[in-house]
Amino acid sequence: MSSHNNSSPAVNDPRQPSTANPYVAPMVRPEDLPVDYSGFIAVIFAIVGLMFRYKLCSWLAIIFCAQSLSNMRNFENDLKQISMAMMFAIMGLMTNYLGLGPTRPSTQG
Amino acid sequence: MARSASSLRHCLVLLALLALLFIHVSHAVDHHFEGFDSDDVAEDEEPVAGTLDHPPPIQLTLTHSDPTHSDLPPPDREQEEVSEPSQPSDLPPKPSSNGLDYWDEDEFEGLPEEQSPEPPKLTENVIPKDPSSDPNKAAKPQKTAVSRSYVVEIVCISFLIMFTINYFTGKRENENIALAWAAKFATKDSIFDKNFSLLGVGDGDDTPLLLKEGQNVFKFYASGRRYCSGLLATMELQSRHDLISRLCNLVVRGRDEISFEVYMNEEAMDQVVFALARRKAAKGMQKEERDLQRYASLLSGPTGGRKWVVEELAVISESKEVAGDLITEAVLEQVFGEKAFEKFGKGFISMHFSDQQLGTHKKMLLFKFALPDAKNMAHMTRLVALIPYYIDLIGRYKLSSQARSKTDSARSKAAQEAYKEQQNARQEALQKRKAERKKMMEEAEAKLSAEIIRKKEAKDRARQAKKAMPRVRMTRAH
Repeated sequence: MSSHNNSSPAVNDPRQPSTANPYVAPMVRPEDLPVDYSGFIAVIFAIVGLMFRYKLCSWLAIIFCAQSLSNMRNFENDLKQISMAMMFAIMGLMTNYLGLGPTRPSTQG
Repeated sequence: MARSASSLRHCLVLLALLALLFIHVSHAVDHHFEGFDSDDVAEDEEPVAGTLDHPPPIQLTLTHSDPTHSDLPPPDREQEEVSEPSQPSDLPPKPSSNGLDYWDEDEFEGLPEEQSPEPPKLTENVIPKDPSSDPNKAAKPQKTAVSRSYVVEIVCISFLIMFTINYFTGKRENENIALAWAAKFATKDSIFDKNFSLLGVGDGDDTPLLLKEGQNVFKFYASGRRYCSGLLATMELQSRHDLISRLCNLVVRGRDEISFEVYMNEEAMDQVVFALARRKAAKGMQKEERDLQRYASLLSGPTGGRKWVVEELAVISESKEVAGDLITEAVLEQVFGEKAFEKFGKGFISMHFSDQQLGTHKKMLLFKFALPDAKNMAHMTRLVALIPYYIDLIGRYKLSSQARSKTDSARSKAAQEAYKEQQNARQEALQKRKAERKKMMEEAEAKLSAEIIRKKEAKDRARQAKKAMPRVRMTRAH
C-alpha cells in the first residue's frame, strides 16, 4: 500500500516511508546482562557434589544446568559458564557412581 | 490447552512406568538379599544382581563371596581362600554359615562360639588387606538402604525427562501467544500496518515480523510514521519452557506483558512528563523513575467537575492542566472511564510519557499492557489503539504559556543542577590529577635523592679505597 501525502477526505495516512529507519539492536555490555542464577547455583551444587560426594548434589547440578541451558539467550556468552557447570556436574556424577578417585579402593585390586 | 493436557498425560504415563520399574527392581534386589540370607549358595543369583545394579558397592559387597562377579578381580578370590580359615568376608548376620565355612573341627575344638563373633570384627578391622571388607562396612548400612538409593536417580531422571518435554511444549505455547498477537496486530490491514510503513526487523518485503530473543522474549519493530522515529514492542512472557519457573509461577502468579516504546521526534514532543498507572504501581513509579521524581507529582483528583479516570488509576503529572489535556474525552469513553475500564481496561498496566528520559532517547512514550491468552487477543484492541492516538496527540500538543513557564523553570533548574554537578566532578578530577602529579614528583625527588646518596656513598668508598691504596704501594717498594 503506497502512502499518499494528499489529504484524503477522512484521515491523513500517518505513514511516512521516508522516515523509516531499520531496526538496530542495542548493544548490551556483558556486565549489564541479567545474572544467571541457575547457572551459578549449578556450579555450586556441582562443586559440592564433587568434593563431598553427594549424589543428590550432582543430580541437582545437572537439573540446574538444564534450566540454565533452556534460559540461555546469547549463545556465545552464556555457553562458557554453562559448559563449566556441566563439566563439574558430570565429573561429580562419575566420581560418585564409578568410584574414581583415591578414597575409593573398590576399583583397585 | 489440549496440547498441555495431552503432554501432562504423557508425563504421568512415563512417571508411572518409571515407578513400576523401580518397584520391580527393588523387589528383585530384596529377593537377592533374602536368598542370600537363607541360603549359603546364593551365588547363582548374584550375577543377575550385578547386571541389574550399577553402583558397585552395593551388590559387590553383599555378594562379595562370589569371585565370579565382574567387578571383583581375581585377587579377591585368592584373599578369600586365604582368609577362609580365620576371616570370612561374610556379613555378621550369617555367623552360622561363616562358622560352617571355615570351622575346621580338628583345629578349633571347643571354641565354636568364640570364633563366630570374632571373624566379623576382624574383617571390619583388616581394611587394607581385604578390599572387600571396606565395601562390607559400606554394604551393611546400605543393605537396607539399597532399595532407597535408587530413588534419587529415578526422581532426577524423571524430572529431567519431564523438563525436556516441558521445554518443547512451553516453547510452542509461548510462540503461539506471540504469533497470535502478531497475527492480530501486525499483519496486513492491522492497526500497525495502517500506521507504520516498515514493519519487522529485517530488510526487504518478506521480513520476519517478530524477533525472538529468548524462549520467552519477543520483539516487534515498526517505523515510518509522522511524529515518531520508531516503535519497539517487547513481549515478555512467562517462562513456560522452564519447568522450575513454571512450578514457581503456580505459586506466585506471573503474567504475560507487552511493553511499547515509541521514540518521538525532537520537534514533535513538547515538555511533557506524565504517567498513568494503577494506584500502587503509580506510587512505586513516582519514586523509582528519575524524571517522574524530579518533575512530576501524584495528582489527587480531577479538576473541577470534569470526568476523570477510574478510581483504580492514579495520574502523575507536572501540572493538572497538562494531565487534563492528555486525558481526553475520547480516551475516557473508550478505555479509562467508569464503564469502559471494566470491559476493556483490565489489561492496562501503565503509561508513561516523558521528554526527559534517561538513556539514548530522551523523548519517549512508554506503554505497558498485560497480554491476554492466544485466543483472546481481540480484548487488547482498544488498548493498542491508544498508541497511535497518543502519538498523534502528543505530536500535535503544544503547552500553554503558563504551563510552559512552569516546565521551563523546572527544567532550567534541573539543568543548572546538572551543570553544577558536572563542574564539581571536573574540579574533583582536576584536584585528583594535581595530587597525583605531586606524588609523582615527590617520588621522583625521593628517587633522585636516593641516587645522590648512593653516589655519595660510592664516592666515599672510592676515597677510602684510594687512601688504602698508597700504603700498599709503600709496602711493595719495601
